[in-house]
Amino acid sequence: MKQFQLKTIFAAATILAVLSACKKDKVNITEVPQTGVYILSQGNIGKNNSVLSFYNSITKNTTGDIFSSVNGRGIGDTGNDARIYGSKMYITVNYSSTLEIVDAKTAKSIKQIKMDNAGTNRQPRYVVFDKNKAYISSYDGTVAVLDTASLTIEKYISVGRNPEQMVVSNGKIYVANSGGLDFANPDKTVSVINIATGAEIKKIDLATTNPVNIAADAYGDVYVISYGTDYPAHPKLTTINNTTDVVKTTVDIDAGYGTSFIVVGDLAYYLSDAGKVKVYNVKTETIANEGFITDATAIKVPYAITADPTTGEVFVTDAVDYTNNGKLYVFNKTGKLEYEVTTGINPGAIVILK
Amino acid sequence: MGKVIGMASTCLIASNFVLAQTDSTKRLKEVPVTATPAPKVQSLTPAQQLTRKDFARYSAFNIADAVRSFAGVNVKDYGGIGGLKTISVRSLGTNHTAVLFDGVQINDAQTGQIDLSKFNLNNVEEITLYNGQPDNLLQPARAFASASVLSIKTIRPDLTPGKPYQVQVGVKGGSFGLINPYLQWQQHINHNWQLVLNSNYIGANGRYKYKVDGDASDTLAIRRNGNVQSLQTDVALYYSKTDSNKFNIHLNYYNAKRGLPGPVVFYSELPGQHLNNNDLFVQAGYQHIWKNSLKLLLSSKLSQLKTRYLDSPYFNTKGYILENYKQREAYQSAALSYAITNAWEVSYAVDASYTTVDAYIDKYAYPARFTLLNVLASSFKLGKLQLQGNLLHTNIHESVQKGTAFQQKAVLSPTLVATVQPFSSPNFKLRAFYKNAFRAPTLDELYYYAAVKRVIKPEFVYQYDLGTTYSKNLNGFLEYIVLTADAYYNNVHNKILAVPSRNPAVFSFSNLGKVDIKGLDVGFRSQTRLYKGWQASLNINYTYQYAVDVSDPTAATYKQQIPYTPKNTFALNAGVNYHDLGIYFNQVLSAGRYYTGTNQPEYLVPGYALSDASAVYKFISGKTPVTTSLEVSNLFNKNYSIIRSYPMPGRSYRLSFQITI
Repeated sequence: MKQFQLKTIFAAATILAVLSACKKDKVNITEVPQTGVYILSQGNIGKNNSVLSFYNSITKNTTGDIFSSVNGRGIGDTGNDARIYGSKMYITVNYSSTLEIVDAKTAKSIKQIKMDNAGTNRQPRYVVFDKNKAYISSYDGTVAVLDTASLTIEKYISVGRNPEQMVVSNGKIYVANSGGLDFANPDKTVSVINIATGAEIKKIDLATTNPVNIAADAYGDVYVISYGTDYPAHPKLTTINNTTDVVKTTVDIDAGYGTSFIVVGDLAYYLSDAGKVKVYNVKTETIANEGFITDATAIKVPYAITADPTTGEVFVTDAVDYTNNGKLYVFNKTGKLEYEVTTGINPGAIVILK
Repeated sequence: MGKVIGMASTCLIASNFVLAQTDSTKRLKEVPVTATPAPKVQSLTPAQQLTRKDFARYSAFNIADAVRSFAGVNVKDYGGIGGLKTISVRSLGTNHTAVLFDGVQINDAQTGQIDLSKFNLNNVEEITLYNGQPDNLLQPARAFASASVLSIKTIRPDLTPGKPYQVQVGVKGGSFGLINPYLQWQQHINHNWQLVLNSNYIGANGRYKYKVDGDASDTLAIRRNGNVQSLQTDVALYYSKTDSNKFNIHLNYYNAKRGLPGPVVFYSELPGQHLNNNDLFVQAGYQHIWKNSLKLLLSSKLSQLKTRYLDSPYFNTKGYILENYKQREAYQSAALSYAITNAWEVSYAVDASYTTVDAYIDKYAYPARFTLLNVLASSFKLGKLQLQGNLLHTNIHESVQKGTAFQQKAVLSPTLVATVQPFSSPNFKLRAFYKNAFRAPTLDELYYYAAVKRVIKPEFVYQYDLGTTYSKNLNGFLEYIVLTADAYYNNVHNKILAVPSRNPAVFSFSNLGKVDIKGLDVGFRSQTRLYKGWQASLNINYTYQYAVDVSDPTAATYKQQIPYTPKNTFALNAGVNYHDLGIYFNQVLSAGRYYTGTNQPEYLVPGYALSDASAVYKFISGKTPVTTSLEVSNLFNKNYSIIRSYPMPGRSYRLSFQITI
């Protein structure tokens, strides 16, 4: 009996060894980024599966998670925004509540800043830059000011509820106060921060609640997309004069929830819920193109968008089903698909590396 | 003798009230008591059972620990003493397993899932898992209505006027700051009435050390906010005038405050959430058997489940989320069975339930669901062939105070069960069943933050099973061997899936899914003959599950193993007894599982090998019987998790001490 048991245990151990041998090691070719595209995927909340992918446009190779390949650790939980300023890339990681500062050319971590307030996570969301300072919005209702030389946070500026995207325009930072964590009662303001004094000087009231996305053009206009509380949403595009800081116009816009409004010269690119890339002319303030994509590429769940000002290429991610790997589609300036890249789960930020 | 065992083997009973078929019971008494007969193998639908004496062998503290070694079972465990533990049987969702408490279902219309960590084992006599359904005809219609049934039977008093009471007092304590005192009082009131009171308190800080994988940390972190304080009390009164006239009533109260530590998030310690439960139910059963073999079983239940959920701090205006839910149910069942001949029995059962959920959240629908179940069943014996079949008719009527109510036409669900003894020896049998079951969408799926109107159809499951059982009493070194093997095919239609949205306020559900499940459950049990006080036992279960998503051939998830479903699991339990000392070893092996619908290596939750050991020693101190035990879970201190980001505890200890007065 005893021998039988030992044999069984041995057999069991063998089964396990075979089973665990099935665990495949990640085959990761680590490219040295020179020129290409970073895609920050959020992953799913609580799964610690945010990844930074890199597509090398010379070798055409993709590194699935260059951050963990280079740094030997994961980026954390729900990487939300990534932007390059100077030689560094700044990555906000929402649920881990960290700001990762990496070398833009290698993805090597230079500093990880924990964004907390006496032990409570601030939940950083987006980052913008101006004159050697980085400004980081966080769900706790603040915008942090970080010195990009010393890489330390100098102060926190209080703004509205659950701030999301920000834009620098006319010496001021415009912050979209979403209040999105109050599902029934969102915020409906844009905070204006005077960069020189580092203080909020005004809260601009909008006609529609839940502003999330914000952008500015070269003609003195700041654009805000708000989503309201209706389902399906009736998003509004509000234009603010960046001299007087008053609302100029508010119009309906067929914008998908949370789409960025990417202004490149006179054109602005954004996504619709139906998976279309739409183009708005910020000079004439009219829709320039209802469907930028000219081939048969179908985007199931449009997620993030950006554009390359020099080549006219447009980059769009598809979250597919929110729970499995997504895709990046890159279109040339005529709206034809050039190439596609497999990303992580929920690819929410695209960064072009030149 | 073999033949007698074979007859007796069909009488594994389901409900507290239900008697085994009388002819089998009579013959059972003829079995000589010099040897332990092979454990009863249910020859109709597959069934697996653990009784009170087994719990320590499996180092089981709650029902989830006890059932995880069963074949075909996948326990989802979020870790720790207060972590959610739900059961999934044969790759079907947890909503497809009905949990019966003394024959009456524990229903949660709101979430559809029963947290098995809520059930302490102190007052449990036996736990049985039935694939398909229990093979008894006289039972409530709800017992016919799920893809599988987990039946919990509590300890019933069996006292005589000579010793009118029995009191068991015990305490368990150990890792996680656990202290678990309990009391069981059995009282013989008079010739007809007996009472049993069970009460237990669990207090634990829930802390344990764990290793974080992937954040480059090299020290162990401590899991916090997993504290538990719970009190569970059950009073039951039993009345029996004769064997043919029985009544019982339970009053059960459960109060718990639990910290929910939430996922482990890299570079961060989240404050976690808090969950309070306040549950009360009263359930009663009455059984009458007439001389002409007509049997009546009445079951009634009133229940109220109150849940309070706190998430703080939270960056909304209030600074926290506080949600309160109240679920109430009134339930009545009546079942009749009648043996037309010795070989042919028919039954009819009708169950009516009325459930309301009040969720004190924005724009809530305040639904009320009325469910009427009617089932006609029959069993028939023809020589070595035994057949059973039933037809279940389900009618759901729902109303809401706001919005649109779920509407569902009546559904007919058939089940067919057959078993045959192909040779003259009754040791070997073949069995097969087909069962069609469905589940309605839960009230949460329909109405919880339903910003968008949700049109959800019920989820249908078609189960096919073909198996063999072999059971033999031996005269040599081994006392018996029991071998069972079942191959099955399950097909899920209209699988209800959560559909996330980028807008956090809009998540919905739809019937996108189709799942094909092919599996194999194999079980082996044996025990040596008692020799000079020594006895050894061995139980082995193996499960193979190939459960793939077949919803959309163009999707990346097509033909991929569904999330959290290991292809191979293996469980071994071995024990040696020497007089009143028992030493046991329990081993569970699980292959890796994917937490996403695509089977990519980066989304693998690695497999694990988990060992537990326990020792039980019984002795008499003065005149007082004492039972002590030491249980060690995760003996080799392995880091593992079942759910991604929810690390399980390393090695933990539990000591227990119990006296019987």
